[in-house]
Amino acid sequence: MTRKSRRLLLISCALGVLGIAAGLVLFALSDTIVFFRSPSEIAAQHVSPGTRLRLGGLVKDGTVEKADGTHVRFVVTDGGADVPVAYIGILPDLFREGQGVVAEGVLQADGSFRADSVLAKHDEKYMPKEVVEALKKQGKWQEGEGGAPAPALLPGRTSSAN
Amino acid sequence: MIPETGHFALVLALAVALLQMVLPVWGARTNDAALMRVGPALAVAFAGFISLAFAALVAAYVQSDFSVLNVYQNSHSEMPLIYKITSAWGNHEGSMLLWVLVLGLFGAMVALFGSNLPQRLKANVLAVQASVAVAFLLFILLTSNPFLRLSPAPAEGQDLNPVLQDIGLAIHPPLLYLGYVGFSITFAFAVAALIDGRIDAAWARWVRPWALAAWAFLTVGIAMGSYWAYYELGWGGWWFWDPVENASLMPWFAGTALIHSAVVMEKRDALKVWTVLLAILAFSLSLLGTFLVRSGVLTSVHAFATDPARGVFILMILVAFIGGSLGLFALRAPMLRQGGIFAPVSREGALVLNNLLLTASAAAVFVGTLYPLALEAWNGAKITVGPPYFNFTVGLLMVPVVFVMPFGPLLAWKRGDIAGVAQRLMAAFGLAILAGLAVAYGQAGGPALAPIGIGLAAFVILGSVTDLAERAGLGRVPAATAWARLRGLPRAAYGTMLAHAGIGICLLGIVAETSWSSERIVGIKTGEGTTVGRYELTLERVEPRTGPNYRDVAAVFRIREGGVDRGTVTSSKRLFTARNMPTTESGIRTFGFGQLYVSMGDELAGGGIGIRAYWKPLVTLIWLGAVVMAFGGVLSLSDRRLRIGAPRPARARRNADAAPANPAPAE
Amino acid sequence: MTLWIVFLALTAAAIFAVLWPLRIGAGGPAAVDGTDEHEADLAVYRDQLAEIERDRLSGLIAGSEAEAARAEVARRMLRAAESGGRAEPGSRASDRRRRIAAVVALVGVPVLAGGLYVMLGSPTLPGQPLAARLSDDPAKADIALLVRKVEAHLEANPNDGRGYEVVAPIYYRTGRLDDAVRAWQNAIRLSGSNAGRETGLGEALTARAAGVVTADAQAAFERAVKLEPEAVKANYYLGLAAVQDGRRDEAIARWSRMVAGAPADAPWLPTVKGALDKLAGGGATPAPAAKDANGAGPSTADVAAVAAMTPEQRSAMVRGMVERLAGRLAQDGSDLEGWLKLVRAWNVLGETDKAKAAAVDARRNFVGNDAALAQIDALSRELGLGS
Repeated sequence: MTRKSRRLLLISCALGVLGIAAGLVLFALSDTIVFFRSPSEIAAQHVSPGTRLRLGGLVKDGTVEKADGTHVRFVVTDGGADVPVAYIGILPDLFREGQGVVAEGVLQADGSFRADSVLAKHDEKYMPKEVVEALKKQGKWQEGEGGAPAPALLPGRTSSAN
Repeated sequence: MIPETGHFALVLALAVALLQMVLPVWGARTNDAALMRVGPALAVAFAGFISLAFAALVAAYVQSDFSVLNVYQNSHSEMPLIYKITSAWGNHEGSMLLWVLVLGLFGAMVALFGSNLPQRLKANVLAVQASVAVAFLLFILLTSNPFLRLSPAPAEGQDLNPVLQDIGLAIHPPLLYLGYVGFSITFAFAVAALIDGRIDAAWARWVRPWALAAWAFLTVGIAMGSYWAYYELGWGGWWFWDPVENASLMPWFAGTALIHSAVVMEKRDALKVWTVLLAILAFSLSLLGTFLVRSGVLTSVHAFATDPARGVFILMILVAFIGGSLGLFALRAPMLRQGGIFAPVSREGALVLNNLLLTASAAAVFVGTLYPLALEAWNGAKITVGPPYFNFTVGLLMVPVVFVMPFGPLLAWKRGDIAGVAQRLMAAFGLAILAGLAVAYGQAGGPALAPIGIGLAAFVILGSVTDLAERAGLGRVPAATAWARLRGLPRAAYGTMLAHAGIGICLLGIVAETSWSSERIVGIKTGEGTTVGRYELTLERVEPRTGPNYRDVAAVFRIREGGVDRGTVTSSKRLFTARNMPTTESGIRTFGFGQLYVSMGDELAGGGIGIRAYWKPLVTLIWLGAVVMAFGGVLSLSDRRLRIGAPRPARARRNADAAPANPAPAE
Repeated sequence: MTLWIVFLALTAAAIFAVLWPLRIGAGGPAAVDGTDEHEADLAVYRDQLAEIERDRLSGLIAGSEAEAARAEVARRMLRAAESGGRAEPGSRASDRRRRIAAVVALVGVPVLAGGLYVMLGSPTLPGQPLAARLSDDPAKADIALLVRKVEAHLEANPNDGRGYEVVAPIYYRTGRLDDAVRAWQNAIRLSGSNAGRETGLGEALTARAAGVVTADAQAAFERAVKLEPEAVKANYYLGLAAVQDGRRDEAIARWSRMVAGAPADAPWLPTVKGALDKLAGGGATPAPAAKDANGAGPSTADVAAVAAMTPEQRSAMVRGMVERLAGRLAQDGSDLEGWLKLVRAWNVLGETDKAKAAAVDARRNFVGNDAALAQIDALSRELGLGS
């Protein structure tokens, strides 16, 4: 092979590998991204059941029921709409009524939400960024209410995430 | 007086860095030896001033000097001494100071140990380094000054974020920064060489020890961060594809590619343009990581600060350095001479494939990390790119990397004999298949991918051993000769073998942990028990305790394995009083390479507590593998030929018959 | 003074780092400064040759391969020699450049460092390690520090009832009501019950309940009256409790007894009389008293005056006061004390959101004033508002 054809071969191999990688990325992106929705958005947009979502809002006061320590039910609200959530697992340390929360899981046919991970804010000061914005839209947020919304999440998951 | 001395030292360091940025380059331009000599002297002085500033900050923390705003905001007089020290860098301002400290120390090392470098290259390298230092010092002084004062001083501080009150904080950030910032040296080398327009095989030789050192630190730093998150965050995961983790993983991929392509450049004078580009990319990705973490654009545990002024400032640094260096690269790269040629099947070919896949992985992580940010900026849609994306893309890209790994070191330079290499790897391959079959038989109904993963891991480990055996001629020459050869092999050969085997070990851990972990989430009362894996856990008691700056409730479990007592494990919930913030301290017991992991949940209404218990077989191999990898890097580094700073007087040079760093049948 | 000497020494060291390498006669190939390029390149290639030879001898590569590799390295050496010949290795330093560099260092370093430091630093503030501050002369220390000292003392001697008694009123006055309650309870536990302590406890409990005399508080006041039937505050609060419970007659009876038994010049007499008159005349049930807006805790007089109003009146009055304060601060936000007062007031009224908003506004007004910000943060933290 000449120098030139070798170089050409090398470059086409490289492009091939990169092409495959780009394909992988695009395929995975189209398949695995999860959208963030607030309860009002779910109500307004008629999100179809079975969709994987991140649901964010406040834990509605007085709605947290713990059945046997691991089965938990609560309602997420943003003032505009409520979504009942069922979760099996241990809640994060800072999960509290009236506080911000982000749950990831699947919307059920009956409008409830089955969460497989629940994230609460990470520090007394902080509120998940998405929740802050969702609440702002609903006019439920006053600037500075929770201090800087430096959002730091501590997931509590049922499965080992890796 | 101490804080102000530190503050002044920091300001002086900026002045020194400005001179260091200008004078040596001027010297190199005018070929003035005296001016070039100023570079190393200033680099040492810079390191001295930064060390002084950092020491002053640590002293302020140790003394609980709440007249320093930073101390007031991140410390508490009742914290144990070790956390008082570590909280100096457990916050935005302090960690940036640590960043610059590491930068200064690396610069001083180049100044002191780079005696084998050409004077001009060295002067330019130090100047480029200084320009990075100037940018970050300005950032610190203008937006994140750790020496701002408070008067009157408050009586008590606001405490360190409890999640950070852990010994992991003492280790993880410094190691990670040693890695990140270490790539600033390779970056400086690349830019200096581009400025000078001279890039040849010798350049690769000079760069490689720095790349290796940075890579080894980064490897351990990432592993420590992973372990820290694993035991501190309390839900048993060890890698979350959190943007901050990704930020450290991207430079790792680029750095791994760099240490491999630098070998090709050194041995064959090929891949020059590519290697220089990688050196720039590795540091650019480190900067990007710093930006992502420091600007607070991400949703993450590590986002200490959300100050847009800071974000914009770092973004400007990012644009200036990445844009500037890539621009210079575009200008100069076409002028570089073509290097040696090689066949697709050859050592070079294998390394090119490795490079392609590693950079593709870095790109995949890059896209996954930044796509949500870009999309949100574009149309406001909020999405998450979660673990499935990363597992899928990076996982698939890594499989060929891992599979080809044993072939690389066995292939000859220029033109390799793939059939011959395959033959030599036959034994390793056969054993790996056996291991996979054994697993498939043994696990009876476990995940189908597990046997394949274990087989792959076994292939890599056995393959790297095969490489050593081949080098020694084991089985072809008399045992005594083989033994002598084995002992005579350069440390770099062992380094390569260990680094590759480390990947296999890590892979073993990952496959075992993901395939065969057992998990229990139950509510449990005192005296009751549950089983996880082979272990029975009984809740012995729940007791309140008091720590220096927290109160906690501890649950003590008795562990039994088949009725045999295996001691206890304790998990607790801590309430840090100053911030009124609870944390969970998980209880971990290591049995063999596996770990029993217990994490305590809320107390239940009807008495008892909720717990999460895991049995994670071979999980420690994940981090041990990384440590083995890094140790391989250090071993290569200690190879006589690459040893930094060994002066090369003529006599020693003649005797220096050290073998190649990635020893090979010659070119 | 020492500080400036240290600064001078550091600056001198920085300048020295530039001048030393520039000194006359420092030429020559000093090893630390790097090798000349030609030689550095050749050293690497010689090394590569040696390594090829070594591989050949140990049988790792065949002779022909070694030959080819040697040829390749030799070509590189040749190239390096060519390019190396171009540049004169490290020519002599020019005196002019040397002088310019020296002047830049001599002038630039002190001017830049000094200028920046004057802009950013606080040279007049000494370091204040906590240990030193705690052992300082108490006359110089502020209240917060004094409290800390007592706390430290109590940590070491947790059975010193006297210490709790000292610190409890301070807690009460600074709004740390939970701590005040706990401290009074400890004082009573350790030093025994007396009217003063029981009254203090009752007062703290009442303030914690935003002015409602709770059952616990009432019990405390009753114990106080039992020990010292004439205890003024306790009697007053018991009357207030009766008012809040709707037992007006009992309140009138109690307060009347107080007035009757009082010396004519008792400072509290007008207050109680006033309350009594209001109660007798107005007929409405006074509702919980609020702490006044300055956070100094309700004085007997304040409480009495407020307590004697109808709930609507009372609420309107307090709110009116607070809102006037808010209005004033909205016009002119430079009054730190006013802001702190406002945050406290909203908090006491149970308007946590408004308290938080006020803290945020206050912070906005004091951007750049770290001391003020720290006070605001400290207050927010103290009141549990987050920050």
